[in-house]
Amino acid sequence: MTLAADKPEFRLYVSPNGKGISKTVPLSLAWRILAHQKGRTALAIGGIFVAVLLIFVELGFFIAVPQGGMLIYDHMRFDLLVVSKKYVFQTESWQFPRARLEEARKNPDVAAASAVYLGGAKWQDPAGGIRLDISAIGFDPRSRAFDVADIDRQIATLEKTDTVLVDSQTRSIFGPLTEGRVVELNGRSTTIGGTYELGTGFLGLGIVLASAENFFRMSPGRPADTVNLGLLTLKPGADPDRVAQQLRTALPNDMQVFTRPELTAHEVRFWTTRTGTGLIFGSGLIVAVIVGIMVLYQTLATQITKQMPQFATMKAIGYTNLFLNGIVLSEAVSIMLIAFIPAFLAALGLYTVIRNQTLLPVIMSPTELGGVFAIVMAMSVISAVLSVGRLRRADPAEVF
Amino acid sequence: MAIDVAAGLPNTRFVPLAWRNLVSNKQRLVRSSAGIGFAVVLMLVQLGFERGFFNASLGMIRQLDGDLFVMRASKYRFGSEDPFAPRDLDPVRNVAGVAGVTPLYGSWQRFFWKDPQGDNSYLVQVFAFDPDHPPFLLSEVKAQSNRLKQADAVLVDRRARPFLGMGGDARETELNGRKVNIVGSFALGPDFMASGTVMMSDRSFAGFVAGSPDNLAALPVEFGVVKLQPGADAAAVQRAIAAALPAEARVLSKTELIDFERSFQADLSSAGPIFWMGTFVGFIVGMLISYQIIYTDLSDQLPQYATLKGMGFRTGYLMRIVFEQAALSALVAYVPAWLLTLFLYWAIGNLALLPMQMTLQLTLLSFGLTLGMCLLSAGLAVRRVITADPAEVF
Repeated sequence: MTLAADKPEFRLYVSPNGKGISKTVPLSLAWRILAHQKGRTALAIGGIFVAVLLIFVELGFFIAVPQGGMLIYDHMRFDLLVVSKKYVFQTESWQFPRARLEEARKNPDVAAASAVYLGGAKWQDPAGGIRLDISAIGFDPRSRAFDVADIDRQIATLEKTDTVLVDSQTRSIFGPLTEGRVVELNGRSTTIGGTYELGTGFLGLGIVLASAENFFRMSPGRPADTVNLGLLTLKPGADPDRVAQQLRTALPNDMQVFTRPELTAHEVRFWTTRTGTGLIFGSGLIVAVIVGIMVLYQTLATQITKQMPQFATMKAIGYTNLFLNGIVLSEAVSIMLIAFIPAFLAALGLYTVIRNQTLLPVIMSPTELGGVFAIVMAMSVISAVLSVGRLRRADPAEVF
Repeated sequence: MAIDVAAGLPNTRFVPLAWRNLVSNKQRLVRSSAGIGFAVVLMLVQLGFERGFFNASLGMIRQLDGDLFVMRASKYRFGSEDPFAPRDLDPVRNVAGVAGVTPLYGSWQRFFWKDPQGDNSYLVQVFAFDPDHPPFLLSEVKAQSNRLKQADAVLVDRRARPFLGMGGDARETELNGRKVNIVGSFALGPDFMASGTVMMSDRSFAGFVAGSPDNLAALPVEFGVVKLQPGADAAAVQRAIAAALPAEARVLSKTELIDFERSFQADLSSAGPIFWMGTFVGFIVGMLISYQIIYTDLSDQLPQYATLKGMGFRTGYLMRIVFEQAALSALVAYVPAWLLTLFLYWAIGNLALLPMQMTLQLTLLSFGLTLGMCLLSAGLAVRRVITADPAEVF
């Protein structure tokens, strides 16, 4: 049984030079080949499904790790960030004299400059028990440094003496984060004034947010004129790149100035190249891509071998190699697309599990979705190209 | 043939049919071994990452040369600064069975190491001890600890992350802005918290944190490393030390200290679930690949199986061959994959600075998983053989 004979309607399109063939013919032919062997196709779709899911997970981690490092910055209001020349990444930010921030403020395009202080504290229940490390962020509550509604709402709470807000993602080992609970921070009795939802990123197991006054009260020995992060807000219409350039010239060379895109690039580079995470998830991603290509290639190659007489016949009646390649490519893309949809849905569920388990911002953003889709399309093209070699050998004279 | 089936059948006990099936087509053998082997490598690498992560976090603790460890009861992980005064260790020295106590000083948050080749400084973990009694098993530290007696001399970890510049031959750099002399190195490797490790004498450490090298009595201790007399009952001494110390102190054996850190890493850091999930995905992918391969192999040999059936061999015998063949495929694919993984562990270990080690446990676990996925796949695919109809095959 040859495909062409079985489906006489295709004969109507045949012309020896290949012209006049509807563009959708390869697709419908591909569809018929896939539907012809449902078991095998289902198996291939299952394989591709796992591979695509694996790509979603590995890419999700690959993107989420640096994003976890950017989480706090992403929720801060600033156009330019000024930090010490020694700044490595958020957790190793170093300090600079407050006077530098005053200098930066003098630039005519700077609308506001505010200081953020980063530090750590030992958290212990007054009743005793383990002494946990918690990160502390200090800032002027009125500077509205954070783009978080919960924080803006609780400015008055932050201004109370020895009162802090706690990030709601602070791990359960710290005990209940109930409003009014008194804990010892560096041995100082401090009241939890409330919680806010932002996320801890890679700043540690938990974060307390405090006014600058309370921050310095719980950090004895830290000089009051040292700042970790200087947040600059520009006047409307000012060009951040130009102002950053001016500040780099104006400030002493113990300082660095980042625009938002520069900061993102810097932090992402740190997390992907200077920690093991880039390599681990990068290699996982490559493995997933190879698995997908292998499964798809094997399926296509088997299909081609099985349909060799049909392909050879089509060749004999004048279909071009290009047309036959089109069929194989359509098969590859169809399998991919069919597997992509359930993999996407499964990834949505898996992302939720991962988010809850690891507290990493593994989310289905357009970057993830578009990235995986592009990878998947490239995979189908590669496996189609790998397998059409067999097709070229289809010799009508040999088949019968 | 149909007249006396049982008598006409050859004695099957001595025909290694599964093996002959496997090797009859060399090209197919290579193809299926490559496929299953790939799945094996995938699982071994994921398992290796998971163990590598934990081993990196536990590497330092494993290298401690002590039988019992005294620390504050409020400490929640090995690398959290929660020190006590040196004199708190005094009662321990008088406990029967204790051969000696060495204070181990440590800092994870306060020391910044300047890259000798660059301008930047980075956070490092620092350990300090009495150079006459180095509380470490690292032979290079033991051999070189005498050199730490010089003022501001340090030993560095040459397997630290490369940006620290500890692997080069620089002889001096700065620690917290103060000049230090690099007098030697050891091989430890970073973990996910510390990029590099520096060791120095207790006197140098006092110079950094207590203002003067002579101020040892005021130097905060992180661990009291206790060595027992030969033949002492460790559990009894542990109880005696705990009784001699106030309730704020805690005494752990080395195994307990390792478990203490492991449970922190598993419960509180996000890395545990990430790699656990990776291993699971590796198994599923492997399962899928091996199913496809075994299914294809069976389909290729369907005529042969059908012929056997036509000759009168029972389904049970055919199924046994299928499972034997699956087990043999697993074994044949496993060996080269295991060897390739040894190389990959070495390469990844050096690139990612993770301690990736092939252990007997890992070998057995991964082989069990490989065998499991091949047999499971054979179980799913064997239906084809059972339903093979001799009349239809040809």
